[in-house]
Amino acid sequence: MRSIARLDAQLEQLLEQVFANAAGLHSGSTGLHFDRALWAKLEESGLARLTAAGSGAGWIEAAGLLRAAARHAAAVPVAENDVLAGWLVEQAGLPDDASVVRTSCIADASGAASEVPWAAEVDRIAVLWESGDGWRIADVQVADADVTRGRDLAGRPTDGVKIDLSRCASAPISAESVREYDLRGALARAVQCAGAMDRLLAMSVQYATEREQFGRPLARFQAIQHLVADIASETALANAAVDAAVVEMAAAHGDLDRLELSVAIARSVVGHAGSVAVRNAHQVHGAIGTTLEHRLHEFTKPVLAWRMEFGSVREWDARLTAMVARSDTDLWSFGVRTTRS
Amino acid sequence: MSLAPAAHHVQESAQLRALRDAVRAFVRDELAAGGFVPAVDCWLSSWDAAFSRKLAARGWLGMTIPVEYGGHGATFLERFVVTEELLAAGAPLAAHWISDRQIGPALMKFGTEEQRRLLLPGVARGEIFFAIGMSEPDSGSDLASVRTKAVKVDGGWQLTGSKIWTSGAHLSHYFIVLARSAPLDAEHRHAGLSQFIVALDAPGIDIRPIVSMNGQHHFNQVFLDSVLVPDAMLFGREGDGWKQVTSELSYERSGPERFLSTVVVLAEMAAATQRGDLAPDPDLGRMFARIMALHQMSISVADALSNGRPTDQEAAIVKVLGTATEGDVAELAGLTTGNGRSADGLGRLREMTATALLSRPGFTLRGGTNEILRGVIARGLGLR
Repeated sequence: MRSIARLDAQLEQLLEQVFANAAGLHSGSTGLHFDRALWAKLEESGLARLTAAGSGAGWIEAAGLLRAAARHAAAVPVAENDVLAGWLVEQAGLPDDASVVRTSCIADASGAASEVPWAAEVDRIAVLWESGDGWRIADVQVADADVTRGRDLAGRPTDGVKIDLSRCASAPISAESVREYDLRGALARAVQCAGAMDRLLAMSVQYATEREQFGRPLARFQAIQHLVADIASETALANAAVDAAVVEMAAAHGDLDRLELSVAIARSVVGHAGSVAVRNAHQVHGAIGTTLEHRLHEFTKPVLAWRMEFGSVREWDARLTAMVARSDTDLWSFGVRTTRS
Repeated sequence: MSLAPAAHHVQESAQLRALRDAVRAFVRDELAAGGFVPAVDCWLSSWDAAFSRKLAARGWLGMTIPVEYGGHGATFLERFVVTEELLAAGAPLAAHWISDRQIGPALMKFGTEEQRRLLLPGVARGEIFFAIGMSEPDSGSDLASVRTKAVKVDGGWQLTGSKIWTSGAHLSHYFIVLARSAPLDAEHRHAGLSQFIVALDAPGIDIRPIVSMNGQHHFNQVFLDSVLVPDAMLFGREGDGWKQVTSELSYERSGPERFLSTVVVLAEMAAATQRGDLAPDPDLGRMFARIMALHQMSISVADALSNGRPTDQEAAIVKVLGTATEGDVAELAGLTTGNGRSADGLGRLREMTATALLSRPGFTLRGGTNEILRGVIARGLGLR
């Protein structure tokens, strides 16, 4: 009857242990660097390429991993390497060496892609592009690409990449796989946002309980209680939408329209929930929360950055409107499927 | 770990999906035959006893009541999907709403054998309708301050006082009254309250309408002047009124009526967009997404409740977010439709929007204001 979109307690505990010492931004810099020491631990625990064929792990487990990484501000390309680039390489039947760290991107006809996460700091890039006769993929060494360093608003490397497509050994890949890649990326970012929002809630509860003003903890003020209650509510709703999409993805039923609907719902809900969670968490924390010294920004900034990737919040809203508008049924029946729809 | 209450994801079985199809087919037939007109806030404002009996004939009333009491022994989730489909269609549900949602389960939990035999078959047949007498003129959110008094007399109780916001009292057969049956103890304000099943045609009952600002009459003030309630109609245990009332709150707060009161407006906006009468607006998709996520949360709470798991916080969240969302849908429609353009194909939407905008203030008040509920959520987080 029901499928649980959350991990069992044991795996959850393992994830907490692995990420407990994530370095984050402690250096007091606005720029993040790939945390290689943490990555080594992930590799050791079999978490770096969690969903590789034959591993037995799927999207439920991957989502738990992404959530935990975001909750700890772990500076590792865990989504990029596994559910995106790793999956692409597998889909195209290219050789997959588990010790290689990858990111991925969609390049234009000239071989250029912008804002590619972690490109300068990984080993390879799974590059997709549309050629005269369909989509192609190449597993390119970063050393063979022309990389221009950049950062997103969360300080994570998002680099410009230029590749000489004519010199790449490439393989064909189906348009369906490219479409699914986009949905996987969109969902991964939604899961990561939800993980960061979990932490924003925990930090806000803790701060409101510990910080005293006017002789009592902030938590005693009803205005503060309501700010935090709204973070909890929006985060719970975001989690519900994300879990529903993760279950769709994990089912691997191949119906991309159905998958797109659930991912779009998750992206819209998470995107707007993020506005409330970020705004209220900052409001609760006061001025200290706006500093580089305080860790709050390690969780607010990623929410703002991730929800811009694989389509803006507004784009996902508009996609939902378009889906509803071109469906041949009423709004409710379109959203809540039955045996006949 | 997440501090946010985690509603586990529920995927509907093939059986539940088939039940949705059956309700959708019924709704299609009813709409085709002019059986009802989809309405905003249908569960509170659209009273149609004949329609309730049509549902009863299909076994869709009193679903969770055991067969021996005239019900259908169905699960809470089966009731959930039937109700959700009917709400989504804007069908007239007000007549049986309270008796079906609340009274049936409450009688199974607290009622005597005699009360069950007397009332449940009629509830399941759509022949006995109930109202609820909780709020009073001086007791809104602070329910423990009710002053309606129950005095023990020979063979029963004598009730005196008044109840307000009793939806449908003028059309119902009974209402459940929360009254003070022992003097107020300032230290234990929640003690000394009891519930009574009161016939609305009993001598000493006076029902006066309170017309809403949209012109609809569903609210009433009910005056009780020395109304005699026989001992057999004490509901639950004497002095347990508070416990009984609060134990049912999760059902009342987390149901699909808390986010679907205006879904017919959003559906009409979608239809107008499909026809080309409205330009595609991303906010339509945004509201649709929230309603779908609320649907997931609401069914998770229903599942948890039917398994006996406590869900106070999740239920409060569904109500806070759901009622705000159904209000936001009214707002979106209000911002979208203009006046004086009769040929724009939006006549029906305009009509629904007017009702929705004028019903909206009540959404975030009824069944516990959103401010009270944020307090419940904050308590769950350990903030108070």
